[in-house]
Amino acid sequence: MIKLYSTPTCPYCEMAKNYFKEKNVEFEVYDISADEKAQKEMVEVSKQITVPVIDINGKIIIGFNRAEIDKILNL
Amino acid sequence: MVYDLIIIGGGPAGMSAGIYASRKKLKTLLITDSLGGQSFIASDIQNFIGFKSISGIELTKKIEEHLRAQKEIEIKDQTRVSKIKKDNNFIIETENNESFEAKTVLLALGSHYRKLNIPGEKEFEGKGVFYCSTCDAPLMKEKSVIIIGGGNTGFASARDLLSYASKVYILEYSESPKADPIEQERIISNKLEIITMAKVQEIFGETFVKGLKYQNRDTNEIKELKAEGIFISIGYEPNSEFLKDFVKLNNAKQVIVNCKTQETSLKGVWAAGDITDTLYHQNNTAIGDAIKAVLNIYDYLKKS
Repeated sequence: MIKLYSTPTCPYCEMAKNYFKEKNVEFEVYDISADEKAQKEMVEVSKQITVPVIDINGKIIIGFNRAEIDKILNL
Repeated sequence: MVYDLIIIGGGPAGMSAGIYASRKKLKTLLITDSLGGQSFIASDIQNFIGFKSISGIELTKKIEEHLRAQKEIEIKDQTRVSKIKKDNNFIIETENNESFEAKTVLLALGSHYRKLNIPGEKEFEGKGVFYCSTCDAPLMKEKSVIIIGGGNTGFASARDLLSYASKVYILEYSESPKADPIEQERIISNKLEIITMAKVQEIFGETFVKGLKYQNRDTNEIKELKAEGIFISIGYEPNSEFLKDFVKLNNAKQVIVNCKTQETSLKGVWAAGDITDTLYHQNNTAIGDAIKAVLNIYDYLKKS
């Protein structure tokens, strides 16, 4: 399960979304500016508060790091 | 295979160069870690000619579409160059250990956020210290924030933040903010306070940022300002680290170019955009300079 923690204005989140769509990978988006529970969860797992944070089955990536995503998902 | 031209960098300069090079039928490869450059993260660009207002994402999409419609260009994105060597031609190596050869090179690597290098900055990065207001402003709802730097970027950050924060300070080192008057006039808000003659000394907090200390440069008094977010907007540094033994750089690590042609100190290598020592770093000027470079590269290749 992929969780993408984002804000509505974040360009790198947009990049991540487009990348997942391009690769036909399913993901869920959490807008942490509106969803306090998701914000808390993101801070807990990433120990910081910038977006995007990508949680791939418990593996945490801070920022849109394509190489890291490719490695975890074997893309 | 030897390319006529390898463009390194995919911001406005690199992408525009790609369009022109392709139209001149130069066999061109563009290598970049991502298309868009610094302007990709701008929330609202109002000085790009032809658009009254456009977001960085939208502008990047339009230029990218234009670029990808060209026939002669190959694009290698998500790729960082690690080394350039001069042989008979130029050999460009990437971090993925690929190697490419070209007759000419255009350096359009742009710049990155400049850091303050003060205590607390690194420690609290992502924990209240931010560089991208477009990305992180929505997290500052009803919070007090400080922007360090009163240039155009600082005022653009203020615009992003005033939609969310309860209080926004701009801390400016000199006597008055350096932002263009039009950028300053665009903001009318009683939530904004500008503090001038402020030298920031330290960012403090616990798990997350709680504020900063600055010195009033008139009185030398040290003051404390509480905030939950600190946005650093003190300009940019050129992405020229790996070029220092390749072409001549100035003291600010910018690539020195001939402003008539965009040639660097090394024959066969041109540069354009934020990485160069040109006086003004703008989207529109970067594009113009990149096009100038490609036209000069075309003439050079025709002669040789």
